[in-house]
Amino acid sequence: MQLVRVLNYIIEKESLSKWLESLSQKSTLVVPVENETGATCFEEFNGQSLFLSGRTDFSAKKFFLPTNEKMFFFRKKTLSYGISPNFPKGRLIAFGVRACDTHALNALDHLFIKLLGDDCFYSARRKNSTIIALQCREACSSGFCASMGCSKPTGHDILLAERPSGFIAQAITENGQTLLSAEFFKKTQDPFPEPSLECSKGLSTSGIEENLYANFNHPIWKKEAERCLSCTSCTEACPTCYCYSSSDCFEFGSGDSSRSRERDSCQLLRFSEVAGQHIFRPSRESRLRQFVLHKLSYYKKHFGTHLCVGCGRCIDACPVKIDITEIANKIQGDAKK
Amino acid sequence: MPKKKRAGAGQKPIPKKKHSAAGKEIPMPKKKLKIGFFSLTCCEGCELAVLDLEERLLKALNYIEIADSRLLLEKPLSKKLDIAFVEGSVISKHDLDSLHSIRERSSFLVALGACATIAGIPGIRNSLPDYLQDKIKRNQIKPMKEKAFPISAFVKVDFLLQGCSINEEEFLTFLNRFLHGKTTRLEQIPVCFECKHRQNSCLLLKGIACLGPVTYAGCNALCPSENAQCIGCRGFTDDANFTALDSLFKEIGLSKEERHNLFTYFNQLPEELKEFAKENSGELPNQLKELAGENPKKKIDLEALK
Ligand code: SF4
Ligand code: SF4
Ligand code: SF4
Ligand code: SF4
Ligand code: SF4
Repeated sequence: MQLVRVLNYIIEKESLSKWLESLSQKSTLVVPVENETGATCFEEFNGQSLFLSGRTDFSAKKFFLPTNEKMFFFRKKTLSYGISPNFPKGRLIAFGVRACDTHALNALDHLFIKLLGDDCFYSARRKNSTIIALQCREACSSGFCASMGCSKPTGHDILLAERPSGFIAQAITENGQTLLSAEFFKKTQDPFPEPSLECSKGLSTSGIEENLYANFNHPIWKKEAERCLSCTSCTEACPTCYCYSSSDCFEFGSGDSSRSRERDSCQLLRFSEVAGQHIFRPSRESRLRQFVLHKLSYYKKHFGTHLCVGCGRCIDACPVKIDITEIANKIQGDAKK
Repeated sequence: MPKKKRAGAGQKPIPKKKHSAAGKEIPMPKKKLKIGFFSLTCCEGCELAVLDLEERLLKALNYIEIADSRLLLEKPLSKKLDIAFVEGSVISKHDLDSLHSIRERSSFLVALGACATIAGIPGIRNSLPDYLQDKIKRNQIKPMKEKAFPISAFVKVDFLLQGCSINEEEFLTFLNRFLHGKTTRLEQIPVCFECKHRQNSCLLLKGIACLGPVTYAGCNALCPSENAQCIGCRGFTDDANFTALDSLFKEIGLSKEERHNLFTYFNQLPEELKEFAKENSGELPNQLKELAGENPKKKIDLEALK
């Protein structure tokens, strides 16, 4: 439930970890951190130091859409079947989610809850989750959220903004309000800071869905695909990529079996393979084009919104620096000539 | 705590009428599958990896029988085998003779590990300079071929289990599927796919050469997860874009020699495989054609390294 009257609160820097500690006792709390390999991502809170200085390399997507999950099973001995024993239960709180990622969750909600008629695994996690958004202080180096209309958070429960002595907080929903306990938060009259983000990258989005589609055979696809390694770094870092494949697994000799689904990517050769071993997108060019067009053309044409929130992760993750904005802007530019 | 009912969750009995097979045994092979392990030139690490399965291997012994293994048995228990797992490369006449006889004895032959699938470590000698080749020849203890080759160069191989050493889970999955009458296939998925799922920071972005984008996944990105470059032990995918990766290595600052060494650490260059063909029958066996990029559907092109 949205709150009618939004109040501002403040929490001191020193109290933050105590607050998180208290949240993590009752729920699964995930927070942005830097892992051992140096990548920034979301992990379960265990008192570790947080990464709050910018957008993470990986979003919190895997907590809503695990890379691999068992869906249902058959047991031979008891002649029974059922939905996975690991069916998601319990509350998930995601702390420090940036504006772009709240829009990405929104996009996944649209697909898994609305279009797919309530995918039970996704929706069990999502409906049982609380999003604590964190306002960006500076625009990140490769993002273009402003162009995609995603620089203000949406669908979150609490909004935080950092300031020198701590954080200023706003509960947006009742659910969020219950978490702002008086033990850590004090009411304040201070206004909530308005972000003024100047993204370094931009994308001209007017008519982009039609223009990209009309330029299906633009030479840029071939040119960029020559460099592309089909490594899937772009789709696997993207917070809105949702493709999965499913596979069956047998317990050794017992006749028990289960079906699970795991992440898939349109950059893989076998992604578009159908019975008879026909592959619809054998060329790298067609796979790269699928990525860009799915994000900036097809989805908008069919469902009214873009599937890209402008987070810039695909640009940062690409080892050969293929840039979705460069491709799209080039085609937009040529279309306007 | 009172149990809450959740739509769709929990166990439901299968209605007996509709499933007449309910309660009957699922047909498993009457006799146990006879399998054998064989080692050509290698360290025998892959067979050890299988033994590492410990209790799970013992459980599997309800369905399989190890009928030949130098490591485990005093003498073979059967001549005919359902599956032969062969590790190691062919580098001597002795290796070649053993390989042919193993093939004759078995219905299904699986190449086990990097040495057998892509020539792996023994294959390093293939691209050594002449003076080192001579040194090897002077010190050899048994008659050797000039080069080491994957076993697919000589006999029909039905499946590859890759890696140095193999992934035990993959071995078990293969066996399990085989028992259920299912085939397994190589998925054209690069190591990067699994590396991203482990949320590793990318070595290539830090200026460290990594073969992840061109190498078969299945190891759960073992090396990059420990901050070490992937050196291609699981073999190159059909979908590999060598030219692009090679230019990236050049940009990172690798010399021609360094690039050559990395690409040939475990794998063989197409032209070396072609040379082999010339020395022998003049024609490349089908499975080597794929390794050598001669299959028009799967372009493997190492132009830049020539
Ligand atoms: S990350 Fe770059 S190189 Fe890799 S598949 Fe995506 S566009 Fe291609
Ligand atoms: S396509 Fe790229 S910029 Fe757009 S949401 Fe995905 S990762 Fe972010
Ligand atoms: S088709 Fe490709 S770009 Fe679209 S969601 Fe799937 S993986 Fe992502
Ligand atoms: S570290 Fe290696 S395997 Fe991992 S994403 Fe980068 S190139 Fe791929
Ligand atoms: S990361 Fe590369 S070298 Fe390491 S085990 Fe996997 S395939 Fe082999």
